[in-house]
Amino acid sequence: MQVFKAYFRVMRASAGMISIYLGVFVGMAVLVTLTSSQSPATEFNETRTRAAVINRDGDAPLAQGLADYIGDTFTVVPYEDDPEKLQDALFYRDVEYVAIIPQGFSATFMAAGSGRPGDTGHAGDLGQADSDSQASGLRQVQVAGSVDSPGRTEASDQTAVIQKVIVPASTSSHYVDIRIDEFLNTVSIHRDLGMAGEAGETAEDRQARLVAAVRADLAAEVPVSLRLAGGRSGTSKESDSKYASYFAYQSYALVAMVMMGISSIMIAFNKRDLRLRNLCTPVPQRGFDLAIAAGHAVFALGCWAIMVLFGLILNGTGPFSSGRGWLYLANSLVLTAVAAAIGFAVGHFVKTSSGQSGAVNVISLGMSFLCGVFVPQAIMRQSVLAVAKFFPVYWYIRANDAIAALANSVSGSPYPIYGFMLVQLGFAVAILSVTLLFSKERRLAEL
Amino acid sequence: MRMAMHVFRYRLRCLLRDTDTLFWTMAFPILLATMFYVGFGNLMGGDASFEPVKVAVVNSPAYQRNVYLKQMLAVLSTPGADQLLDLTVTDETEAQRLLDEGGVTGIITVGDVDDTADPIASSIRLTVTQSGLGQSILKAILDDYLHASATVSSVLSQNPAAIAELIDRLGNRESYTQQISYSDAMPDTAVGYFYALVAMACLYTGFWGMRNTIDLQADLSDQGARRSVAPTHKLAVVLCDWAAAFLIGFGEVLVLLAYLAFGLKIDFGDQVGYVLLTCLAGCIAGVSFGTLLGTLFRKSEGAKVAALVGATNVLSFLAGLMYVNMKHIVARNVPVLSYINPVALTSDAFYSLYVFDNHHRFFLNIGLLCVISAVMCFASYLQLRREKYASL
Repeated sequence: MQVFKAYFRVMRASAGMISIYLGVFVGMAVLVTLTSSQSPATEFNETRTRAAVINRDGDAPLAQGLADYIGDTFTVVPYEDDPEKLQDALFYRDVEYVAIIPQGFSATFMAAGSGRPGDTGHAGDLGQADSDSQASGLRQVQVAGSVDSPGRTEASDQTAVIQKVIVPASTSSHYVDIRIDEFLNTVSIHRDLGMAGEAGETAEDRQARLVAAVRADLAAEVPVSLRLAGGRSGTSKESDSKYASYFAYQSYALVAMVMMGISSIMIAFNKRDLRLRNLCTPVPQRGFDLAIAAGHAVFALGCWAIMVLFGLILNGTGPFSSGRGWLYLANSLVLTAVAAAIGFAVGHFVKTSSGQSGAVNVISLGMSFLCGVFVPQAIMRQSVLAVAKFFPVYWYIRANDAIAALANSVSGSPYPIYGFMLVQLGFAVAILSVTLLFSKERRLAEL
Repeated sequence: MRMAMHVFRYRLRCLLRDTDTLFWTMAFPILLATMFYVGFGNLMGGDASFEPVKVAVVNSPAYQRNVYLKQMLAVLSTPGADQLLDLTVTDETEAQRLLDEGGVTGIITVGDVDDTADPIASSIRLTVTQSGLGQSILKAILDDYLHASATVSSVLSQNPAAIAELIDRLGNRESYTQQISYSDAMPDTAVGYFYALVAMACLYTGFWGMRNTIDLQADLSDQGARRSVAPTHKLAVVLCDWAAAFLIGFGEVLVLLAYLAFGLKIDFGDQVGYVLLTCLAGCIAGVSFGTLLGTLFRKSEGAKVAALVGATNVLSFLAGLMYVNMKHIVARNVPVLSYINPVALTSDAFYSLYVFDNHHRFFLNIGLLCVISAVMCFASYLQLRREKYASL
């Protein structure tokens, strides 16, 4: 008991360092939980891509209508027309699409439909034009413009297009393109075929009328049904993905904390003079070692319990109803054992506290980056993953991903997960035995 | 002058023997860079290119009758640069299976045409298992189809003769967007992490500056006490120490930079001179920062180091080392913070070299770095000068 008590007296000295890891991680986890939207996945929500709209065409109703439509369909972030700011926004993905409505866009666009003088939008007229050029929209204007009124060529040259600045070939840019093209195509159809210009109507009124008609056309929506996996109700996928990412991230903090604590103790008790003195005490060696081991166990379990508790507080108990929650806990418990073994080894091979903090940081951060804690394994390079297989955290993440996948599959089997946990236990046993071997050798050498 | 060279040379040797600081200022950033590199994996080199959205269509009589939808889906799934869809026409159970296994993003089901409804419109449904971009694209495409039928009925009610023209126009959609770009740089967010990392390494030269102040102050180390009674002018000693710390720090940053640029092939642009200038300014700021903290905190060495570690971590966090968008968030919401944060200024200097064609913002960053360094140096000078000790 004396040794056990001494253990925690020594631990108190490194409590500061350990609580830094804990504090930073918990702070981050709370932040992530607070910022991530809590919408339950019971209904389909359209992605509202973040976009910036730069309207250089001012108050023209068509430009305004397009800007409004983009605003209603996507999340428009207000930005001024400053290339530097927009480049920043795009680089840091504050917006994924910058749509620039050039000056004179509305007028050019409207003129595209009235290539012929006195055109009232009758099908016959345009049909003829169309069969001439076998094209629609823009090219038609250029033909008509250059033939009928050379003065308009200039206007047609700066054709009515929306300029976009995007992340090249990104999926979201295609998505925004679809909506913008749809809007403008519908306007052009109404302009040419549907809506005749009325006598005495100003250009603005006509544009406003067109926009209103188009918005009416675009109001309908296709019904989308969201089918939860396996028809299971109650366990929405959203809560499980939060669980999976919490348990992925916590592995870094857990490994760092457990390693830090256990290696601190081992460094303290392994100091040569102290150990030689302890060897002279009337406490039997076996009892001494057992007390230290019990201390390690209590400390590691305590760290694990704290992490689990925070996980439950932040993410609820959703996955426990189907038993997956217990798998997450078991998996992280196994990782705790691995971390304890590594900490034990570090405490044995490292002698100074600066060396210790170097080793703890490099090992915990290195494994996390290499094994896919911060970035999903799915998008990591195969060559990197091949190396990662030699580290226990890789198998922890494999198991974690497999548990999360269990939620989405109807007929998933948990057996591979047990295999991944066994691999981790294998690492723990291997690291521990190698360290014990060296420690025995050192003891014999010292005597 | 000979004396100064002597002090400088011995300071260099002294610092180079400090393996702990060597590890944290040189090996650690290199390790971190390697971790970033392996960790980001396929995220490097820009976002993945667009992949057509995989979708299953339930092959029903109603679908076969719906010529317009069939035609539209066929056009959208034609291989080529504009291909949006990857279409699988199959029966209902197979479609369900594909959806469950993640083989397709969604299922399009066409119900029977309602007699009262528009001839083109029919009860089209989309089934998905989650919300997302691919699913939204599917919905946008189907919405477009639905909207087209609304347009048809609205146009025909005003101009019944236009039917042929209308069908033709609906079949030939125009693209009204044109991609422009402000510069040739790929907006590859991942490089932001490496810029922040080099900026952090620049600030880490502060550990050398701090080491100097400990070895200079008589109440902190025996070495400081001995050097305080030496007949060399104090300012000369301080300057020589400073130069030695800067030289080592700058050398380390150059090693890191070489490793990033040639080993990991991180794109720093091709303006080598300006990149080196940025490192130079960053290191000057770093050493000055360490010197200032070392003179401000009159406590033990541990407290000084803790203050420096804490400060560099917070500043690096605000500059986007842990979460790259943080730099932008800070710049947009609390711009003052990004103008006084040496890490943010250094990484922004790299960033502006990479992204912008002009050097306006680059020199603003470098200028601010120099001003901050000068202020910090002056403040530490005020702290260090005319120190007297009652007893040691």
